[in-house]
Amino acid sequence: MSGLRVLAVDDEPRALADVQRLLEGSARVAQVDTAGGGREALVRLGEGSYDALFLDVRMPEIEGLELARLLRRFDDPPGVVFLTGHADAAVEAFEVQALDFLVKPVTRERLDGALSRIEAARAARGGPAPAAREHTAPEVVALDNPVGAGKRLVRLETIRYVDADGDYARIHADDGDFVLRAPLSQLEEDWGSAGFTRVHRAHLVNLNHAVELRSQPNGTAVLAMRDGTEIPVARRTVAALRRRLKA
Amino acid sequence: MSAQGQAGTTTGGGAPPVSAHFVNNVLAAAASYIEDDPDLARDVLAELGQFLSYRLREDPAPVTASQELAHTATYLRLQQARFPDRITVELPPAEALPGGRMAPASIQGPIAEALGRRLRERRGACILTVRPVPPGLEAELTGAAGEDPERVPITLNAHEEVVA
Repeated sequence: MSGLRVLAVDDEPRALADVQRLLEGSARVAQVDTAGGGREALVRLGEGSYDALFLDVRMPEIEGLELARLLRRFDDPPGVVFLTGHADAAVEAFEVQALDFLVKPVTRERLDGALSRIEAARAARGGPAPAAREHTAPEVVALDNPVGAGKRLVRLETIRYVDADGDYARIHADDGDFVLRAPLSQLEEDWGSAGFTRVHRAHLVNLNHAVELRSQPNGTAVLAMRDGTEIPVARRTVAALRRRLKA
Repeated sequence: MSAQGQAGTTTGGGAPPVSAHFVNNVLAAAASYIEDDPDLARDVLAELGQFLSYRLREDPAPVTASQELAHTATYLRLQQARFPDRITVELPPAEALPGGRMAPASIQGPIAEALGRRLRERRGACILTVRPVPPGLEAELTGAAGEDPERVPITLNAHEEVVA
């Protein structure tokens, strides 16, 4: 696979220099261009093609979120990784389907994670039909807080299991319980690569938090979680789950 | 980029919160200087430390005008590090300021709000001039020649105690 072509956009020259230096230091990146604002970015996008934009959220003239919405009208839009000084804007960023969201100053580890997402997205674009594309799970998801208004950002790895609750998914994470209006089938598709699997019609489990699969006399099973919760496992999924846990 | 008006850590004494957005962007600027100019990177970090020490101290007792002016100068140097060659600053001498004590960030807070708004909304150079206009101060922000300046009155939250 050839290296990534990236356009970094930030009105803060030193922050732009920092992310440019980090990107240029990565062996996975072949080309790094920069733009000091949204208008300059649009000019660059007209001159060449990019696998991804590293885009500051708040800029004069054209804000990063506005530019990201414009990009979605492109036939083959580049992926968007947002840069920001504060995670408050992350909810909006996920609404425009950003690949990732990095808080400045960016650590090399987080940058590597974002580059992995860009590579996966590029492979998916050039790969088979959309239905067969492999989803790359997000690191952070925006969930509804059942107590009070607003969204809460939750790291996917901290979600232990999800229960179906009518049109909603009730999500149990280390930070508390949240809700999301989505079917479990959709969440399994979106989060499957992060270890989530459907063990029952009403339960999706993050296997990274599971500790033991206990068989039941009637052919079903329960999956014991690290926090002590026991999740029912449907009879038809027991064998596949046992194979997966042994692997 | 706004230096105020963002979610952040609340400080005592009625001062506006310290913006995590501002702090993270200053850290990003410092990181960018590490290879090109390590001494400047260190200075930026040291000044950020001063800024945070002043704003996050446990005792939010009123400060002198001189202390607040020094804090404002520190804040503006951090903004200049983020936006080199873009911000020109002229502050009055400490002797020209009113003599009472005031809440921390009485001067820096309004300046941060006005400067942050301007940087967020406009490109290009910004000239900031702060001058005494009794009973408080006035911050004037302007850009290219011929542009109408924006004037921001700064009401000093004076306390009764008078500095000797």
